[in-house]
Amino acid sequence: MSTIDTMRDILHNPERLVADWKAQGKKIVGYRCIYVPEEIIWAAGMWPYPIFGTPEAITQADSYFQPCTCEFIRNIFDHALDGKLNFLDGLVLCNTCDAVRHLYDMWITYIKVPDCHIINNPQKMYDESGYKYYCVELKRFKSEMENLSGNGISDESLQSAINLHNQTRGLLKELYSLRKKDPPLISGGEALDIVMASMLMPKDKCNQQLQQLIAEVKTRESPKTRGPRILITGSIIDDPTLIQLVEEVGGVVVADDLCTTTKYFWQEVGQNKDPLDALSRYNTERCLCSCMHPPERRFDYLWELIEEFGANGVIYFNLKYCHPFLYEAALFREKLAAKDVPTLMLEVDHSLSGLGQLRTRIQAFIEML
Amino acid sequence: MVTGATAPGKKSLQTTLEISRAVKAYYGGVQAAKQEGKPIVWSYGLIPREIFHAVGAPVIYLEHLPLLMSTKQLSGRYCQIAEEEGFSRDVCAFHRCFIGCAAEEEKHPYLAKFWAPPDLIVASNLPCMSESKSFLYAANHFNCPYFFIDAPINIWGKEIPDYAVEYYAGQLGEALDFLGGYGYRLDWAKLKEAVALSRRLVYLWREIDEYRKAIPAPMGIVDGLTCAFPLIQLPGTKLGVELYERLRDEIKERVENKIGVLEEEKLRLLWIGVPPFYNMGLLNYPEQYGAIVVKSFVEYLAGGAFDPAIMDPEKPLESLATKALVDIVNPTYQNMIDFAVQTAKDFSVDGQIALVKRSCGLIPGVLRLVKDAVYQADGIPTTIFDLDGMDLREYDDAATKANIDSFIETLLDSKRRG
Repeated sequence: MSTIDTMRDILHNPERLVADWKAQGKKIVGYRCIYVPEEIIWAAGMWPYPIFGTPEAITQADSYFQPCTCEFIRNIFDHALDGKLNFLDGLVLCNTCDAVRHLYDMWITYIKVPDCHIINNPQKMYDESGYKYYCVELKRFKSEMENLSGNGISDESLQSAINLHNQTRGLLKELYSLRKKDPPLISGGEALDIVMASMLMPKDKCNQQLQQLIAEVKTRESPKTRGPRILITGSIIDDPTLIQLVEEVGGVVVADDLCTTTKYFWQEVGQNKDPLDALSRYNTERCLCSCMHPPERRFDYLWELIEEFGANGVIYFNLKYCHPFLYEAALFREKLAAKDVPTLMLEVDHSLSGLGQLRTRIQAFIEML
Repeated sequence: MVTGATAPGKKSLQTTLEISRAVKAYYGGVQAAKQEGKPIVWSYGLIPREIFHAVGAPVIYLEHLPLLMSTKQLSGRYCQIAEEEGFSRDVCAFHRCFIGCAAEEEKHPYLAKFWAPPDLIVASNLPCMSESKSFLYAANHFNCPYFFIDAPINIWGKEIPDYAVEYYAGQLGEALDFLGGYGYRLDWAKLKEAVALSRRLVYLWREIDEYRKAIPAPMGIVDGLTCAFPLIQLPGTKLGVELYERLRDEIKERVENKIGVLEEEKLRLLWIGVPPFYNMGLLNYPEQYGAIVVKSFVEYLAGGAFDPAIMDPEKPLESLATKALVDIVNPTYQNMIDFAVQTAKDFSVDGQIALVKRSCGLIPGVLRLVKDAVYQADGIPTTIFDLDGMDLREYDDAATKANIDSFIETLLDSKRRG
C-alpha cells in the first residue's frame, strides 16, 4: 500500500487506531474547528480528534435543528445522536459561527456524554485586547483539559506538543510546495485527503507518514495534462467529490483556502518563553475564517495563495446556510474582479446534491478560462 | 409565496400613538443632523446605544429600518435588490432588506422619509454572524470608516467574569475614541447620566411587564411591538424614560379598571420569533377564537430581560458591557431558555407560537430547546412552523392561518376537556 493509501485508509477507517489508543488507557477528545488549540489536548496526554461530516443522510438531527441550519452541523449532531461519537471522552468547540454555538446548546442538552467544552475565543483578530482576553480564556481551557485528562500540563510538555504540531505544519507546507509545479505533482483531491488524514492522526504517527509521502511524491512523474489552475476557497469541504469534479472537467486544483486544508497549517506557532502565550498569539494572528475579523486579512491571505500558486481562477464554495461565507461572497467577488481574477460562486449543500448541474457550471467556468 | 391579504395590526393604547410619533421624530432628527453636516452613524440595536446618545451621535439602527419597510410591504422588494447585489436568499432577511435599502439608487418615497446614508459604521457580532457581516457591504458601498466590537458569547450564565467585561468595556472605550475622531467627544458625566437613564428605562419596562401579566391582558402584542421602540433605540435618553412613564401610567389604569384587549380571554398565547411585520393583522387573528397574544418574545431581544441593578452609573462602560453580555440574546442560550420558561409561567400562557424565519441563524436554533424546556417545566405546548416575518415573498397566508387554527383548536379542545 502506498503512503497516501495508508493515510486515506486511516482517514476513512480510524476505528483500529482508536481502539489501539484506548487500549493504552488514554483519552480521545473530539474538536471542531481549527481554532481549538489541539496542542493543549495533546500535552494533556489525549488525542485531539477533529470531527468531520460524512456523506450519510441526516435522520434524527432534523427533529432538533431546523432544516435551515448548516447541514454540516446537523450531520455531526446526527452522528452524536446515533452514538457514533461515543468513543470520545470529551468534545471541544469554539466560538465561531451561529451553528456551532447552537451545536453547543444542543449537545449539552440532548447528548450530555461526552462532556462538551467551548473555548470563548475572540473574533477580532490581530488585536491586542483580543489577544490579552484570549490568554485568560486559554488558561481556563488548559485547566479544563487537565481536569478531563487527570494530567497536569507543564510548560515543557506544552512546548513539546507545539514543536510536534509545528513539524506537521512544516511538512504539509513542504508537500503543498509540490503543487506549485505546472502541472502539480499531487491533485486537489489527494491534497484534501492528506490534510484531513494529517488533522486526524496522532501527530507522531502522522509526521512519519508525511515524510515518507513527500519522498514518494517527489519521485512521481509529472502529469501530462495541463489545464487552468484553480484555487478553491470558502466554507468547509470535507469530501473530495467537488474538487475531483473540477479536475474531471479539465481544471487543475493547485491550492485551497479551506479550514480542512491550508488554514490548518499555513502558519506555525512562534517561539516564546511561555508556550501558552505563544498559542494565544498564534490563534489570534493566523489565517482567518470568515467568522473572524477583519475580512481584509482573509483577502490578503487568499491573494497570497493566488499569487504563490499561480491560480488562473477561483471557485468560491458556499455551503448552504453557511452564513459567514455567504455574507462575504459578494464582497470577495468584487475584490477578486477588481484584480481580474475570474471567480465562480457556488452554493451547495453538504450532501452535494445536484452534482450534474454543478458539473455543467464548473465545466463552463473552466472552458471560459 | 404570498397568498391572501395583509392587514395592519390593531392598537389599543394612546401611548402607542405617541411612540409612533416619536419614531418619526427620531428619523426626522437624524435627517436634520445630516443636513447640518453631522456624521451619521449606522449601527445595530444590540450595541449599547447609550454610547451614541451620550456623545450626541445620530444613529440609524439596522434592525429598525427593515421593520419599517416591512410594515409597508416593501421588504420583499429590498430583499430582491440585495439578492441582485449578490447576497444569497438564505442570509437574514432583515439584513438583506437593509442592504437593499442601501443599494437602491433612487430611494422609494417611503424609505426616503427615514433614510440617511452613513458616514461611520459601528458593528458587532452580538448576537449573530449577520450582525458582524452585513455592514461590510455598507462600509464598502459608502466607503466609510468601520469599527468592529467583538462580543464574547455568554458561557457563564448570569455572572460575567471580569476578564470578559474588561475586554468588551475596553472596546466600547475604543468605539468612543473612534466616534471622538469624528467630532463626537465623550463627556463622562453625560455617559454616566445615560447609564442612569438606561437603568431607569429598564426598571420602568419591568414595571410595565408586571402590569402586562394581568388577566385580562391590558395590552396586546401589536402595541407591545411598537412600544419596544424606546427600549431598542432610546436607552440612555430622557425621552425614553418619559414615554415609558406614560405607558406605565396608562397600563396601570387599565389594569386597575380591568380593561382588557378582549372582554373574555379563552386563551393566552406567547409569540416567539419574528412577527410578520408586513401583516401585523395576523397577530390579531387568534382573537376571533377568544385568544390573545399577550407578549412577543422579540420585545426582549433588545435588552429588557436582565436585572437593571447590574448597571452602576459610576462604572458606565463596565455596566454597559455587562448588560450586553448577559443579554438573553447573546449565545449560548441557557439564559434565554430560563427566561422563556419564566415568561410563559408569569404571563399565564396556555400555548406558544414559535416561528422559524428560514434565513435566521439565531432563533430557529433555539426553538426546540425552548419548546422542550417550557413543556417540561409547566406542560405548556408550543407549535413551531415556518414564517419569515421580514421577507413578504416567503409568506403563505393560508398555510400560516391553518397552522394557527389547528393549534388554537387543539388548545381549546384540551381546555374544554380539562
